[in-house]
Amino acid sequence: MNSKDLKGTVLLVFFAGITALFYNQFSPFGIALFGQWETSKGVVFSISKTDSVDASIEINDPEIIKRIVQKKERIVLDVRPREIYNQGHLPFAVSFPLMEFDETIEQLLSSINRKSAILVYCSSIECTDSHTFAMRLKNLKYDNVKVFSGGFRQWEEKGYEIQKNE
Amino acid sequence: MKYRKTNKNTVILLFFIKLLLGITFIYASYHKIADPDGFAKIIYGYDIFPGFSINILAITIPFLELTAGFSLIFGLFPRSALLIINGLLLGFILVIGFNLLRGHQFDCGCFSFKTQDPTVSNISLLIRDLFLLISGVYLFRKTTAS
Repeated sequence: MNSKDLKGTVLLVFFAGITALFYNQFSPFGIALFGQWETSKGVVFSISKTDSVDASIEINDPEIIKRIVQKKERIVLDVRPREIYNQGHLPFAVSFPLMEFDETIEQLLSSINRKSAILVYCSSIECTDSHTFAMRLKNLKYDNVKVFSGGFRQWEEKGYEIQKNE
Repeated sequence: MKYRKTNKNTVILLFFIKLLLGITFIYASYHKIADPDGFAKIIYGYDIFPGFSINILAITIPFLELTAGFSLIFGLFPRSALLIINGLLLGFILVIGFNLLRGHQFDCGCFSFKTQDPTVSNISLLIRDLFLLISGVYLFRKTTAS
C-alpha cells in the first residue's frame, strides 16, 4: 500500500459520501440523517419521507395497555397478517390485517363507530404497520386512535394473557 | 489496470475476479439505495451499531459499494477501490461472525431484505464473504500501483 492508494481511497470515499448525501436529500425515499432508534421512546424507525409514524399517539407503557385491554376501554385492532393473529393475540383483539385494508374497509366502517376509542398494534417496536393503519383510520375520520408501540412481542414478553384461534 | 508480472492464465483469472467483485458490489448496492429505510432497519437488527450511526451508515454504505464497484471495473483507482471493497468485506465478516457467535438472529440484507432461514443463510454468506475477501486480497496483491 502506498500514498497514492490512500489518496485514491480518500477521494473515492469522499465522492461516495457526497453523492450519497446529495441523493438522499432529493430522493422521495430519503431518510433523516438521524433516526429514532431508542426503544424507550417508542416505535423505532429511520424517519423517512414516506413513513407515517406519529409519536404523539403512541402508548409505550405495557401496564397501561394491560389495563385498557382488561377494562375494554378501547377496541383493540391487530393489524398483523391473519395467520399470525390466529397463532396468538391480545385478548378481545379483532383482526384487521394492514395488507387486507382495502378488502376489509367496509366491514371496519360498519362495525366500528367513528367516535370509538381504538387501540392498534402490530408485531413489535420495530414495526410501523400499526402507525400506517392508524393514519388510514384518521383519514377516515376516526379521531380517537392510539398505537401500542411495543406490539405483540412486548405483550408476550411481559407474560400477559394471550388468546389463540385454532 | 495493470498486473504484476504473471502468465496469461493468471491474467484471465484476475480479470474474472475483478468482474466478480465489481458486479457483486454494484448489484448489492442497488436495493439498499432504492430502500434506505429498509436498510436502516437491517442495520438496527444487527444490534451492534449505536443509534446515531444507523441512518448515516444506511445512507453511505450503498454508495460506497457502488462507487468501489464501478471504480474497480473501469480501472479508476483500482487498488483504492479494492481497499474499500476488502475493508467492507472485512467489516461484514466481523459483524456477521459476531452475531452468529452470540446466537443473535438477524437478516443480512446483503442482496435483499428478506431471508427464509436466517441461521443457515448467514453461515453461507459468511463463507461467501470470506471467499470474496480472499479473492480481493489476492487481486490487490497482484495489481500494480502504477
